[in-house]
Amino acid sequence: MAALRAGFLAQNLYRTHFSKVSRFNYLYAALFHSSPPLNAEGMPLKMPSLSPTMMEGTIVKWLKKEGDPIQPGDALCDIQTDKAVVTMDTEEEGILAKILVPEDTKDVKVGTLIAVLAPEGEDWKTIEIPAGEESAASATTAEDTPAAAAAGGGHAHGNYGPSVRLLLEQYGLAAEQVPPGGPHGILLKGDVLKYIKEKSLQPLPVSAVPPPEVPKPAVAAAPVAPAPTPAVPAPPPTIGVSEDGYEDIEVTSMRRTIAKRLTQSKSGIAHSYGTLECQSDKLLALRKQYKNEGINVSVNDLIIKAVSVALTKCPEMNCVWQGDQLTYASQVDMSIAVATPTGLITPIVRGADFLGIEEIASQVRDLAARARENKLKLDEFQGGTFTISNLGMFGISEFSAIINPPQCGILAVGSGIVKIDENGSPVTCMRATLSYDRAGVDDDTAAAFLEELKNILENPVTMMVGGYKSQVDHPLAALL
Amino acid sequence: MLSKFIRSVVQQGHANQRALAPFMTSSVRNSGTATEATFETRPYKLHKLETPPNSTTSCTRDEALTFYTQMQMIRRMESAASNLYKEKAIRGFCHLYSGQEAICVGIKGALRAQDSVITAYRDHGWAYVMGCSVTSIMAELTGRTQGMARGKGGSMHMYAKNFYGGNGIVGAQVPVGAGIALANKYLENNGINVSLYGDGAANQGQLFEAYNIAKLMNLPAVFICENNGYGMGTSVDRASASTNYYTRGDYVPGIWIDGMDVLSVKEAISYCVEHCTSGKGPLVLEVATYRYHGHSMSDPGTSYRTRDEIQEVRQTRDPIMLFKERILSADLVTAEELKKIDGEVRKEVDEAVKIAKTDKEIAVQELAADVYSNPLEITIRGTTPYDPYTHQRLSKIINQH
Repeated sequence: MAALRAGFLAQNLYRTHFSKVSRFNYLYAALFHSSPPLNAEGMPLKMPSLSPTMMEGTIVKWLKKEGDPIQPGDALCDIQTDKAVVTMDTEEEGILAKILVPEDTKDVKVGTLIAVLAPEGEDWKTIEIPAGEESAASATTAEDTPAAAAAGGGHAHGNYGPSVRLLLEQYGLAAEQVPPGGPHGILLKGDVLKYIKEKSLQPLPVSAVPPPEVPKPAVAAAPVAPAPTPAVPAPPPTIGVSEDGYEDIEVTSMRRTIAKRLTQSKSGIAHSYGTLECQSDKLLALRKQYKNEGINVSVNDLIIKAVSVALTKCPEMNCVWQGDQLTYASQVDMSIAVATPTGLITPIVRGADFLGIEEIASQVRDLAARARENKLKLDEFQGGTFTISNLGMFGISEFSAIINPPQCGILAVGSGIVKIDENGSPVTCMRATLSYDRAGVDDDTAAAFLEELKNILENPVTMMVGGYKSQVDHPLAALL
Repeated sequence: MLSKFIRSVVQQGHANQRALAPFMTSSVRNSGTATEATFETRPYKLHKLETPPNSTTSCTRDEALTFYTQMQMIRRMESAASNLYKEKAIRGFCHLYSGQEAICVGIKGALRAQDSVITAYRDHGWAYVMGCSVTSIMAELTGRTQGMARGKGGSMHMYAKNFYGGNGIVGAQVPVGAGIALANKYLENNGINVSLYGDGAANQGQLFEAYNIAKLMNLPAVFICENNGYGMGTSVDRASASTNYYTRGDYVPGIWIDGMDVLSVKEAISYCVEHCTSGKGPLVLEVATYRYHGHSMSDPGTSYRTRDEIQEVRQTRDPIMLFKERILSADLVTAEELKKIDGEVRKEVDEAVKIAKTDKEIAVQELAADVYSNPLEITIRGTTPYDPYTHQRLSKIINQH
């Protein structure tokens, strides 16, 4: 084995030596010639198809950095295919000069240029990125789009076929304009072609904002016999008001993420619900008292504190469920649902159980303001152990929310409603619905938490008692 | 078990290299490089044989350049095929030969014009050494007109003069190979036939039938097991009761060869040619090798062996690297010459890839062309009985006697 190792070393030394020499030559050239040295063209690395059905992939992790030497058989990156995470390796020898697709870029089409290798001995920093490599991939998508648009966006209410509809749309005609020639008054393609020929019509030009009755882009086809497929690549699906007045909105990546994550949550998590009703007069009184003393806190801030304290008293509720691992969190990182113009986001008040109410209030204000400006950092809205969503200010009395995985609970807080109690005096009642993941939280745990929370909300002074139960009392203390 | 096997080979290898230096004799010097050199072969293991193949072999400068070029070309071609497959330019089956190049190059180096070869589906390298152009191989892989089977066969179906092809059915080529050996004997062309199969196929019953008939009739047949350590994803130790494949012919004599050394392979095959043509009957050979890629393109090749194992072989046993070191230290060639060859190989493969991607496919009617050498019926049924094709003769018939 020793001999073997020595062989390895000698080889590596040989290589390093080689590359040093060539770099020196390059410097030499740069020093003594005024014109810049010609950049060698890099070897393209494209998104490989690593399964027979793979159309696109996600680079999960780059295992090499820019500037790393590459040997044949080296693992370059982990790629999530449609089936599994597969490691991509290369047969080339050289230096990884440039990573063009960073980690975690979703759905990169097979054939897309993802990185460039510099041949051995070239300076990897000045390597030229091969041009025109992506054209093939983008060309196929361009061809796919019009077909999808035609299939998805049609409003074929009349009694005519798709080819007729396409022609009508291309020439900006209404079905009523063309005399039908088929049996039972059916409009045929031949009728439309005849009509077009008689009137010597031209197809409509491609317009950026389509008129309401012609949402489809027209194409440069011959007027008499239009080609079935457009000759020019059509723009992506139309965004705007369609024939029947529906408005298509461009879907933002944030909206897409919300749609994906919440659908996953609602369909993949065993949601259970529990609703508490409490009298919130004392809470409101406390807020008034603070205000009189010049401390500006909202009801929501008080609820955050109350929930945090309830979670410390009922730590089984403050947990995250990841795959098949249930973890009790050591502190309360409270996610707060904040509405922004682009969608809901949940910035986190970290360690809310240790913070004073004023500190919570100022943090929430700051996070909410920055959330609306889309200026939150990643760690300010990722993580968290429990979520509060409050629609009380909109007068919603009760609602249920979707769990934000891997968290196991979300509390949906409604508004205060004035009622008459059994003594005939008016009281303010508030309802809050807990959605909890039945996989990680048992019903009795949720009930215990809700009871605790109800006590705190009804007697906010108990918030000051707060604090964790002694570790020894904890039923899972032995496991911690 | 396998890593132990690799390590032992590695250590043997190193011991040999150390012993090699004083042994090398450079006879005639010509413009700074020798024209011929003698090398020690790796130790062989014998089964039912008295005398082993020569422990030394000579290699001329021309041979060295040829072997190096061929091995590099195959390595480069397989890399290109791997890339084309990942671009979806090659579809269907594709089995790569990277790591095993020394076997086909070494065997071909010892075969004569009249000798014939038949192998399984890992056949790109074989097609190349048997005379198919790089372009015809790459175009066959992508299913284009310039492929040597006009794009109708693909990876598994490559043929040339005296090369009876890639065969898609595991192990089925071995009895066919015995038949080719019978043909050689019958035609009295003095040729031998080499049948290659993998360690996975080595446990099939039909192989033993082939050994039997070959020995019974003393056919000039050489059966070669390319033992790359894994039959698909199963290591040889888990698949075979006896992993000494060179002894598996029982009454058929056998030789074990280090398949990572092209010169040892060549020397052993010269021995086989001598053995078979002198009427002593068949031989069963085991050539120890390694494949760098997975079994096929759908196998990443890292779930049943470690990346470290592959890298260790690449760093210490690679047939191209070992041969390069040998011929450089023997002054047969210069580093500059080899570098130039590398460039030319890369260029040739790149150009072939370009053609393989842009060449056109055959017309649908041609599907029924060249199906039979002697068509008794010229109508060939299509996907239904109502769309028949007409048999046509478009290519030249090869290997017809």
